[in-house]
Amino acid sequence: MLQAETLQLLCLTASSGVPLFSRGSTKQLPFSVVGSLNGVHMFGAGHGAQLSSCETDRGSRVVWEVFQESLMLIAVSGGGGSGISELQLRRLLENVWNCMVLVLGQDELANIRNVERLKRELRSCYRLFDLLLERVNDEQGFMGDLTRCADCLLPSTSALLQDALDSFAQAAESEFGCLLVRGRVAQATEKWWSRLTSQEVVVLSILMHSLSNASSCDYPVFLPQGSPTVAIRLLGFQLLPGVHVCVLCGPKPSLYKAENELVSRFWSTLVENLRSCLEQADRSTVPPSVSLRWDVQALLLINRESRRAVTVCPRVRGGAPAEATPLLSSRRRLELLRLFYTFAVTRYFTSQETSVSSASEDFPQGFTHVPVQCYLVTEECKCYGLQSPQHQLFLLMDLSVPTFALRTVATQTLSAITSATAF
Amino acid sequence: MSIPPGSIIVSDWYHCADSREFFSKILHKKKRRKFGLLEAPMMPPHMNVDIVRYKVLISGKSGVGKSALAARLAGLELPKMHYETTGIETTVVFWPVRLKDSGRVLFFRFELWDCGESAMRRFDHMLPSCKEQVDGILFLFSFTDRGSFDDLSNQISRITESSDRVVKLVVGTKFDLFMHTDVTESDIAHFQEVWGLPVFRVGGDVSAGLGEVAPLLNALAENLWHQDCMAASTVSISPQAALRETGSEITV
Ligand SMILES: Nc1nc2c(ncn2[C@@H]2O[C@H](COP(=O)(O)OP(=O)(O)OP(=O)(O)O)[C@@H](O)[C@H]2O)c(=O)[nH]1
Ligand SMILES: [Mg+2]
Repeated sequence: MLQAETLQLLCLTASSGVPLFSRGSTKQLPFSVVGSLNGVHMFGAGHGAQLSSCETDRGSRVVWEVFQESLMLIAVSGGGGSGISELQLRRLLENVWNCMVLVLGQDELANIRNVERLKRELRSCYRLFDLLLERVNDEQGFMGDLTRCADCLLPSTSALLQDALDSFAQAAESEFGCLLVRGRVAQATEKWWSRLTSQEVVVLSILMHSLSNASSCDYPVFLPQGSPTVAIRLLGFQLLPGVHVCVLCGPKPSLYKAENELVSRFWSTLVENLRSCLEQADRSTVPPSVSLRWDVQALLLINRESRRAVTVCPRVRGGAPAEATPLLSSRRRLELLRLFYTFAVTRYFTSQETSVSSASEDFPQGFTHVPVQCYLVTEECKCYGLQSPQHQLFLLMDLSVPTFALRTVATQTLSAITSATAF
Repeated sequence: MSIPPGSIIVSDWYHCADSREFFSKILHKKKRRKFGLLEAPMMPPHMNVDIVRYKVLISGKSGVGKSALAARLAGLELPKMHYETTGIETTVVFWPVRLKDSGRVLFFRFELWDCGESAMRRFDHMLPSCKEQVDGILFLFSFTDRGSFDDLSNQISRITESSDRVVKLVVGTKFDLFMHTDVTESDIAHFQEVWGLPVFRVGGDVSAGLGEVAPLLNALAENLWHQDCMAASTVSISPQAALRETGSEITV
């Protein structure tokens, strides 16, 4: 249906199947195909069956989902052994829906009064849709769209930055503030983590990322879960190129006031700290005080309580012996990391939110224990997953690491990061 | 209404050798340097170069090229596709200028305010926010859209009141697509006569460097400075006092 490595996103009205938009890298699917995709879903619905996903023998995938009984979203991925999983497509649809709500509000989407008008309104979300489609094969280590966690950076000087952020947010009459460095959350107010849902944090990060060229911004946003029908304001400020601070607030203060009265008052003394955050971000998402073994290829660490995540994908390996095999490309490592994450959370570390139809292993069924570790040996690397009530770690290691040692390495890596950063 | 180009500042100054050390502060590897809000170009203190800050609104209907113009003036990459702006975005642009009479150099700091038309329509607080403390407005039309030109006078009266103390300039976008132009030179001459507002033409790649943006940035600087001097003289303080405070940016 589609060539390898390609991805199409379709949106139709759920009741009548009127196409609203289609986005994606390739040529649009012909209308007849779109019609059939909608048709089979409707056919199922007419017979009391809900069609949620299918896979062709050549590895193409289709995932359907209807939101608020109003809009149907369909994601179609090309085959050719590319690594886009069902979970990833399902998350894509969820994020696309949340972006629509973020920009347009739920009322507009749930009660369609005028299809042509809605089509027009949806155009204002295209920038975010296209960013989400790019993220599926992202090469910079952003994974929040898949993990439903905020992609974070762990800065060395966090206490100073936290104080500045808290006071800045307070002065802007907001409890929700967030400091982003190269698109990753370096610091956020307590409420940012405790009161926003993880899906909201993810789409807000995407929105801020799309605005990274602006010196400042004032964007009306609807929070998909917290405020789906009443718009609030997202104020964002580019402190340095690559460093942004944003707050969610009500009618006051005006953008002009916030920018002219608050920004330099709270941030100008921290310029050097912010610059060193930038330097760190260009090297790694974890501070230099965290020393990782040279045979770690990549890792994803999730804090399950606050829904924060750090991805580490070393650019060079320090201290490797001469005979060590070279690192896989970072693009490939990130792809493998996404696949391993998906493998682990759909089969072993399952929860309500990750259950997908393709989890075919019978093993967890009727089994009351919760697996806490899992591993996988492939031709390219060895993978180890570990979960505790607080954390989940997904680790890619060199093939040279003996399989029996994986558990120890994973445990050590986890404690190396958590003890140095209080993550 | 507006003053003739070159009456207050040295026009084409960016060509002159003595401007190099100033323009080098807004360039980086032959491209325009990006500045965060905490940054500003800084000259050695003894040179006594002030930064004067102005807020400039970019107005015009959806797709006319507001976001593209902001990017163009700041030397950022131009948007290839039309993505609607769904809120207010601002862009800071620094521009050095030499005053003709005193020979004094100033760094103008324009903050360009760009609000997407759809956001303006859907949210009532956008327009007042854009107009708060605004010093100048660029009214845009597109050479490829006759309607946008015909709507100029409506646009101007919708956004401004005659009592407003703002510099107004008109910018025609997509001039590079002259093959499809819907607006003729005589249309523009007529408009200029009726409204007394200068019309600038922009379009095409920004690769041409500073020469492409200089006429518009110079005109903005000149008219804003003039407006301030007039205001200062009517309340009988010296133009010097009209210098805005320079804020607390740090050296880069
Ligand atoms: N050829 C050419 N294209 C231009 C020019 N200016 C803008 N465009 C294109 O016109 C389209 C719309 O430009 P934008 O700047 O995004 O429009 P806008 O006024 O910001 O629109 P809204 O945000 O929806 O209000 C984009 O595809 C731009 O690339 C120009 O001078 N020349
Ligand atoms: Mg725009």
